[in-house]
Amino acid sequence: MAVTTLWDVAYFLSSGLLGVLAHILPPLAWLLTNPNLVWLLSALLFGAILLGASMINTIMLIWFERKMLGRFMDRRGAMHVGYAGLLQNFADGLKLFRKNTFKPREADDLGFYGGPTAYMVTSLLMFGVLPISSGWSDGALPLSMLLALVIFSFAPLFIFISAWSSNNKYSLMGGMRSAAQMIAYEVPILLAVVAVVLVAGTFDLNQIVLEQQNYWFWGPLFLALLVFSIGMLAEMERIPFDLPEAEAELVEGWNTEYGGMLFAFFMLADYLRALAGSILIVLLFLGGWTLPTYVPAVATSLPLAGIIWFMVKTYLVFGVFVWIRAALPRVRTDQLLRIGWMRLIPLSLVAVVLAAALVLVKCLPVFGCVPSMGG
Amino acid sequence: MSDMWINMGPQHPMTHGLWNLRVHIDGEMILGVDPEMGYLHRGIEKISEDRHYNEVITLMDRTCYVAGMAWEHLYIQAAEKALGLEPPERAEWIRMMSEEFQRLASHIMWYAAFVQDLGLMSPFLYGMRDRDLILDLFQSYTGGRLTYEYMRVGGVRNDLPVGFNDRARKVLDWLEPRLVEYDRLCMGSDIFRRRCDDLGILKAADCVKHGVTGPMLRSAGSKRDIRKDRPYSRYAQVDFDVATAESADVTGRYLVRMEEMRQSIRILRQTLDWLDHHPGPVLADRLPRWLGAPYAPIGREAYLLKRNYPKGIGLSAIEEPHGEACAYVVNEGGEHPYRVKFRSPVFANLSAASQYLVGYHVADIPPIMGSVDVCVGEVDR
Repeated sequence: MAVTTLWDVAYFLSSGLLGVLAHILPPLAWLLTNPNLVWLLSALLFGAILLGASMINTIMLIWFERKMLGRFMDRRGAMHVGYAGLLQNFADGLKLFRKNTFKPREADDLGFYGGPTAYMVTSLLMFGVLPISSGWSDGALPLSMLLALVIFSFAPLFIFISAWSSNNKYSLMGGMRSAAQMIAYEVPILLAVVAVVLVAGTFDLNQIVLEQQNYWFWGPLFLALLVFSIGMLAEMERIPFDLPEAEAELVEGWNTEYGGMLFAFFMLADYLRALAGSILIVLLFLGGWTLPTYVPAVATSLPLAGIIWFMVKTYLVFGVFVWIRAALPRVRTDQLLRIGWMRLIPLSLVAVVLAAALVLVKCLPVFGCVPSMGG
Repeated sequence: MSDMWINMGPQHPMTHGLWNLRVHIDGEMILGVDPEMGYLHRGIEKISEDRHYNEVITLMDRTCYVAGMAWEHLYIQAAEKALGLEPPERAEWIRMMSEEFQRLASHIMWYAAFVQDLGLMSPFLYGMRDRDLILDLFQSYTGGRLTYEYMRVGGVRNDLPVGFNDRARKVLDWLEPRLVEYDRLCMGSDIFRRRCDDLGILKAADCVKHGVTGPMLRSAGSKRDIRKDRPYSRYAQVDFDVATAESADVTGRYLVRMEEMRQSIRILRQTLDWLDHHPGPVLADRLPRWLGAPYAPIGREAYLLKRNYPKGIGLSAIEEPHGEACAYVVNEGGEHPYRVKFRSPVFANLSAASQYLVGYHVADIPPIMGSVDVCVGEVDR
């Protein structure tokens, strides 16, 4: 069965739309049936679908977190707008959109407005390379995981720029904390990814998922999963690692001076990154859109089953992060950096060594022999 | 980054009120602090001089907005001494019960705010949820949830409603296992211990030097508690222990307050048992007419009053949830107190900020200041 990719969908929509237009406006048919135009429109549609999907998912993620946090705290979370508060975040977004955007007089224009914009754009960019199902972006990018991590690591730069240009001491401290934290945790994350790459033998996220069809990586690479999850928690700046915006001492950290839509940009980008982090964990360790073989085939043969199972896994992973947020206090800056440099990096090195040993042995009694190990 | 001053306040999440902590920092290290109070000054002591003795009670609720009952009790004791009045026995026990319930509510409020400063979000709501039950109790016999205006010179305004004791016991039965849960969320958390151990140390000798009292002093190993040392109300007749800790740090203050809540529950159970079996009047019957009357005496009545009523000075000290509070009321005859003066424990605890803040990180300011349990209303008065 040929897999319908997202690009196919976009191309079908674009050519169909232009075909109808050409039928209505015969004089312009020569232009509307131009293959370049069809290609251009399908590229735009492709992007729009990705944008819509990631945005809606992000907003649902916020709703999910609010409801779940509410339950952890003995309350019900958002209840009033829409069914069970489903539309509450749209209402909140609308409120922020209507607010006046203002800038401190001494703030630097380019950094103040450019920082959040770039932060938002790079966060969105990541969803172009993260495959959500088998047909999402099929074999297009042989180094897609590397690209995703590169885009992911842009954030501290833009956060620091916007913090510095706000010309506020709290923002500056938050920005410096943020930069220190993200750079410190970048290293263990990359090393944990090296462990995955060693076992999977590829940088392509699609291939990594396909490698996990027989067994998911979380078992043999548990240490790498642990390091990666903790590192992701720090990269997302969530409790217990949310020092850059520790509201108790830094008011709101690096986004103290931001209000209205710019603040909404930061919030959205934060949750976009949280979504991307959860997706990365599912892709690298939890088998992506695949299901264990003992699950009845009907579960995987449904239309869009891949996407559905993928999202279920993603939301479960994010649910664990929400749980952590509800249960733990915040660590201190020096403790955070000590955890990063002195605990996580050695652990991730051990994980790499373990993964290398796994590849050498080529076989793990508990998890069964691995067909494609060692290339 | 070279050293700089930052203003934490007057409106800052850490302050829990309206005051300003100027912090001199180098990177993340604190080089010096300079607490600035006075943003919430309402002149309560001066206003009191122009009010009847019972009208001052309204101000007492607003002096400390999380421990209104304790401040009412403090003032009422001093006012009664100044006026030479004695409340009925039952009123004394009801006052003691109110103060202990207030201590519970105040400590739970402190717990909620303190863990929130550390980034622990859920216990904040658990604390607010449980405090609400105590406020419900207050509402059932005073009509107010925050500003009660319940105590009167010569007793209390009204007796407890029917079935109150059983409801109160039910609340205590609910609260006792909750305290265990609170403890598990904090002391059971490694991150919490790492954040709070050896933080904000203030030894007992320094506490005494700077007038620091209450849980802060007791966390340094001192057993000083006015309820034991100079028992007022009926504290001599109930059985309880003074909560202490040895570490003199944030964890120590946390442990002291947690233990105090357990002791409060102990006191409350005994008090409720007593109240079960001792009905009686709650307001002295031979009050001067103007103390019971809602209007001010005028003309000849007021003149006679001013001439004939005995003069006196009242001084009282209680163990308020935040520390040792003291009230001084001068009665020069007449319907108004001549002078009212309060000692706020938090003012002293806060003024010593440089003693327990310097040398720690900026990120340590919220837990340390949280462990002080700031109530700006009583600091500025």
